Amino acid sequence: MTNPSETVVAVRHLKIGYGDRIILENVNFEVRRGEVFMILGGSGSGKSTLLKNLIGLYTPEDGEIWIEDGNIVTARDEERLLLFRKFGVMYQGGALFGSMTVLENVRLPLDEFTDLPEPIKDFVALAKLKQVGLVAAAGKMPSELSGGMQKRAAIARAMALNPCILFLDEPSAGLDPVTSAELDLLIKELAQQCGITFVIVTHELASIYGIADRVILLDARTRTIVAEGKPASLREHATDPWVRKFFNRQPEPAEVTQPH
Amino acid sequence: MTTATQKELAPDLQVNPGGEARFFLRDHLDDQNVGLCWTLLERNLRGASIKTLVVDASALQECDGAGRALLQYLNLGKLTPGAKVSIVGLNEELTKDLGEFTAEDYEAFGPHEPMGKKSLPEEVGAAVASAGLDLREQVSFLGEVLAKLPGTITSRKRLRWPEIGRIFESAGANAVPIVSLISILVGLIIAFESVQPLEQFGAQIYVANMIGLVMVRELGPLLAAILLAGRSGSAFAAEIGTMKVNEELNALETLGLDPIRFLVIQRIAAGVLLTPLLTFYGTFMGVLGGVLVMLGLGFPLTLIFHQLSSAVHLSDIALAASKGVVFGAIVSAVGCLRGLQTQQGPSAVGVSTTRAVVTSILLIVIADAAFSVVFFLLTR
Repeated sequence: MTNPSETVVAVRHLKIGYGDRIILENVNFEVRRGEVFMILGGSGSGKSTLLKNLIGLYTPEDGEIWIEDGNIVTARDEERLLLFRKFGVMYQGGALFGSMTVLENVRLPLDEFTDLPEPIKDFVALAKLKQVGLVAAAGKMPSELSGGMQKRAAIARAMALNPCILFLDEPSAGLDPVTSAELDLLIKELAQQCGITFVIVTHELASIYGIADRVILLDARTRTIVAEGKPASLREHATDPWVRKFFNRQPEPAEVTQPH
Repeated sequence: MTTATQKELAPDLQVNPGGEARFFLRDHLDDQNVGLCWTLLERNLRGASIKTLVVDASALQECDGAGRALLQYLNLGKLTPGAKVSIVGLNEELTKDLGEFTAEDYEAFGPHEPMGKKSLPEEVGAAVASAGLDLREQVSFLGEVLAKLPGTITSRKRLRWPEIGRIFESAGANAVPIVSLISILVGLIIAFESVQPLEQFGAQIYVANMIGLVMVRELGPLLAAILLAGRSGSAFAAEIGTMKVNEELNALETLGLDPIRFLVIQRIAAGVLLTPLLTFYGTFMGVLGGVLVMLGLGFPLTLIFHQLSSAVHLSDIALAASKGVVFGAIVSAVGCLRGLQTQQGPSAVGVSTTRAVVTSILLIVIADAAFSVVFFLLTR
């Protein structure tokens, strides 16, 4: 049904910045169907800005961003809305609507974009919550949930319309190691069982080695991609010393003083 | 017997008089045709006395999330309460999927609980109790501010003059255009409205006296204070409220800095200093508006000035100044208090700003009434 080597996200010659200030340039990469793809980089390297460009919230200075067969940079009106239906986004803090229950949050896209009968919408939403293990919290308000639960609920909402791509912004941020590992497991399961493609912005090494199929590493100094490939092989075989340091979690000698 | 057909799905429902229903699904069941199945099923099964429902999915090839939801809904007997439901011919994956979703899952979120309806005495009681609690908080806040005031204003470092200057500019200088416009218009309106009735008695010249008294003693201070409440009291509440939501207030406390000393007293000091100035300025503009009308009516400026100076005494100006001080303190203190009382949640800051403006205006009017009574008793 789906071709696993098919490209679902393609970024070509992307240049991102604000006026004269260039954040990233000459960014080229492709994400294939069903893979867990991670965008890595140090603080201030433009990971989150890149993500906001990929999902069409910001407009790049130059370049193309293809989501399946549509260029989100040039898409307007109807075409843009159709592109938005192809992917779901989980924001760093979950961004659940505080005035609605968890179920209503997940139901919202179904209410807006489908003509399903009311009880069926509840069932679809509950099935999504079941996938992320949150059925018991369906009737709760987002403020009653823990950080990890809010993120899972946000994933359920992002999946409501069965998108083929999910963009996640720092899913492990602010979570304890156990919850973070559970979330990784969920992502892996969803990728394998439902064939969803994941594009994840993170700098959590445990997640990177645990679930990433391929990664790109952004560097604030060169303002572009400095490494691309499988994380384990980058850790072992990267030639760039900074890339090696990143994947081996070593400090920069000039900036960090050893305590002993 | 009812039959409906559609190209991709071709659902087929057969209901016999004995209460047995058979529903046949073919080819695809997805979000495009779930609605059609639903209409068909609901029209024929809802409310009918169905004893058994058999869903035959042996010819079903594809089923998406919406289709699965429909099968789950039917499987849990939600459409045919009391009937025995069986789904036959499902492939392995769908059977597993169906088994994973139980009635408890569906009941988990339950029907939305209606908000508990309270009886009238209960609601009145709760409102009185909350008003009492609020009054208590206001008094304790006032006490706290007064207790910390001497220590703060005597220390140049603690008072943070640059911060007071910034507030002075945003709450005072930036308010000058709107105060000018509103005061001058109010002066014009009062003059126009009073000219005709007074004309009947040939007493048009007393419009000047009235404008002078009304603007200096009442409207000047009141207009300045209400504008300050709308522009700056709400801004104080929003500013401090956002700081509270962002945990900046907690950060201040753990750094050993008291929010009252660090944030509140500067705002109250700025409010107390700038409101009398704004009051005098607004009063002047209001009187100017009235004078313009009188000049338009042909009265000479010297006569108008003479009437004004005979009507407005130094005690009236002192009253206006003291009103300005009190109103300024009320507006800035209430704004800060409401900011500090901000709760969590997306609407919390909005609620705080609204409460700041409403409480400020209420307290301003109460204080104004108290001023009138005291002034009346003092000058009797």
